[in-house]
Amino acid sequence: MSAPLLDVKGLSVRIAGTSRDLVADVSFTLHPGETLCVVGESGCGKSLTALSLMGLLASPPLSVTGGEALFDGRDLLQMPLDQLQALRGDRMAMIFQEPMTSLNPALRVGDQIAESVQRHQGVSAKAARARALEMLRRVGIPAPESRLDAYPHNLSGGMRQRVMIAMALANDPALLLADEPTTALDVTIQAQILALMRDLQAQSGSAMILITHDLGVVAEMADKVAVMYAGRIVEFGTVAQIFEDPQHPYTIGLMSSMPTLGQRVARLVTIPGVVPQASQMPPGCRFASRCPFANASCAKTPDMTEVATGHRVACWQVPLEAGIDQRVSA
Amino acid sequence: MSAPDYILEASALKRQFEVAKPLFGKAKVVRAVDGVDLKIARGETFAIVGESGCGKSTLARLLVRLMTPTDGAVIYEGRNIASIPEQEMRDLRRELQFIFQDPFSSLNPRMTVGALIEEPMRVHRIGTVAQRREKVAALLSRVGLSPQIADRYPHEFSGGQRQRVGIARALASGPKVLIGDEPVSALDVSIQAQVVNILEDLKQEFGLTLVVIAHDLAVVRHMADRVAVMYLGEIVELAPVDALFDAPRHPYTAALIAAIPVPQVGARKATAKLEGDPPNPIDLPTGCRFHPRCPHATDLCRTSKPTLRARDAGGQVACHYADELTLDGLSAGSDTRSDAANARFEIYRAARARSEGANAPATTTT
Ligand SMILES: Nc1ncnc2c1ncn2[C@@H]1O[C@H](COP(=O)(O)OP(=O)(O)OP(=O)(O)O)[C@@H](O)[C@H]1O
Ligand SMILES: Nc1ncnc2c1ncn2[C@@H]1O[C@H](COP(=O)(O)OP(=O)(O)OP(=O)(O)O)[C@@H](O)[C@H]1O
Ligand code: SF4
Ligand SMILES: [Mg+2]
Ligand SMILES: [Mg+2]
Repeated sequence: MSAPLLDVKGLSVRIAGTSRDLVADVSFTLHPGETLCVVGESGCGKSLTALSLMGLLASPPLSVTGGEALFDGRDLLQMPLDQLQALRGDRMAMIFQEPMTSLNPALRVGDQIAESVQRHQGVSAKAARARALEMLRRVGIPAPESRLDAYPHNLSGGMRQRVMIAMALANDPALLLADEPTTALDVTIQAQILALMRDLQAQSGSAMILITHDLGVVAEMADKVAVMYAGRIVEFGTVAQIFEDPQHPYTIGLMSSMPTLGQRVARLVTIPGVVPQASQMPPGCRFASRCPFANASCAKTPDMTEVATGHRVACWQVPLEAGIDQRVSA
Repeated sequence: MSAPDYILEASALKRQFEVAKPLFGKAKVVRAVDGVDLKIARGETFAIVGESGCGKSTLARLLVRLMTPTDGAVIYEGRNIASIPEQEMRDLRRELQFIFQDPFSSLNPRMTVGALIEEPMRVHRIGTVAQRREKVAALLSRVGLSPQIADRYPHEFSGGQRQRVGIARALASGPKVLIGDEPVSALDVSIQAQVVNILEDLKQEFGLTLVVIAHDLAVVRHMADRVAVMYLGEIVELAPVDALFDAPRHPYTAALIAAIPVPQVGARKATAKLEGDPPNPIDLPTGCRFHPRCPHATDLCRTSKPTLRARDAGGQVACHYADELTLDGLSAGSDTRSDAANARFEIYRAARARSEGANAPATTTT
């Protein structure tokens, strides 16, 4: 296989002065044209993982405490700020979870997109504005001409999200980090945006890290899936492996919580308990306090173990069937 | 069945925004909400769905007077809250609470989580300081957060955690109507399931009426009693949830259902994309507002505007051909799992049952 575009090894993020990793030893590779979906409980470190790669962690108090992230062979985590800034919005772009945090409320949306295009492509102001208009149209903003001069607060939540998507895609990035890009959008626009992202990938071979909690979107978009829990990747595999052969108890719990479109149930299944506070995080497997399979062996941290080619799981009890047989015969 | 008891009603409700004022001529307006009539029954869960930008948030804000209408009335418990004095409205706010779409901009970053949740109780002079502190702790655990986080600030939390803070805050004043603008869309499915269960429990416990705007149609299908579908500022279909999903009568509703991403690898039949340009709310189409994108549109649709009229199952629909068209609803078995996955799920369920039995009395899980 060709060289990966992005090779992340052992990425860890911490709050200054504490000892618990908010992102712990995260490793994965991404090839051009591939889509990696990241799923996991709210607060498990998905956004922090993406922000670390962009060099956009809120630091202080947060900082990267270990690992490397080779992008085109260069380590993003060690890169001088000016080089990183040159990459951002150009070779590498991010769609943020909360559009208002990355749109400038005082600037017209057309100007914001055009400014980024001009900065990275060095084209004329006129060409940049034309590109901004084209991008607004491509993300399905109705009457884009009249929205170029709108301020972010004049737009609906979903339109702001689309403006941000337009901005991120405007310079054809090689790596797109998309943090819940379609969560604020209705399903028809979502389908349109996802198709747009796939087109972009097909045209320019860009790679994408897509953070989403919509397992329907995962099934549709992902080549690979990383399931995170409390800062760690607990399961990693191809989309088919994750959906058709889920192994980690957390992955299975997550999938069971999903409301189905089929039969209506009286009550949704949940995963018992909450993610423990940093100070109460169990040693060993971080899911142990909520896991119905946990036993004494889980007090040691499970390593990622390959259960099939490209399918890795961090759980002592995997495969779960084996555990059942033992318990029954015991 | 006795006559339904309506707690909140909108009648001919309109809200416009000026978008661009040309040098000459009339200012251009967006008709964000353009003549909405609806009645929300006490104790029901009423969902509003529709295309991004169709006016859902605007409608929700009008319903609790976070915004005043350009025209029309909002009747809450017999009073037109669109026109009562601000002072009177202030007291009513305790009963009408709002959960915002964007938990980041709606929480004051300089207040601790505890202070944020306490604020509505303070404003409405509910309880003593000690009682309020206790209530804050209870509300935090209620939404699945640790009470120990009360002295931390919103920026220290993930998006989903902040959204739960917003929900705890909305619950603090003991509302009768809770309007959630995408209340669970920032949450992962396991927390979402918890929050949905919490909202349903609270609804039972306190006889709450819920109005929920959501893009996730699986959530809507699970939670709602009735659903209103909006398109370009208007309601195009309104029906009990099963009738709406199983047998939609409006082509836009059918398009929405067809676009639901199915959590199964390779499930999506090509791309079920709505054809045509997205609508322009400034320059509204003639006739049926959906006609430029509707696969069933005829000349009649291009010239004459369909009115909202009765459909079966006690619903309403605004389409000239509602009675003639056969539209696809949710297809049966639209999410079936592989055998291997099913076996794993079964093992998980059995293990859950075993471990909860063993640890009885089990700690409450939701
Ligand atoms: N600036 C910060 N200061 C302190 N803690 C932070 C900060 N930002 C995030 N955290 C913590 O780091 C953890 C991971 O946060 P992150 O935003 O990556 O979660 P997430 O997986 O993206 O969740 P969500 O799905 O809710 O967006 C959370 O527990 C959060 O409370
Ligand atoms: N303050 C404002 N000034 C000008 N136009 C506005 C304003 N607020 C909303 N609009 C416009 O009104 C229309 C409806 O917006 P609204 O926020 O109600 O949509 P929505 O259905 O909630 O969309 P979403 O699903 O994207 O949140 C949009 O065209 C929007 O651009
Ligand atoms: S390692 Fe143990 S506690 Fe962790 S998920 Fe596996 S079984 Fe559960
Ligand atoms: Mg996040
Ligand atoms: Mg909205």
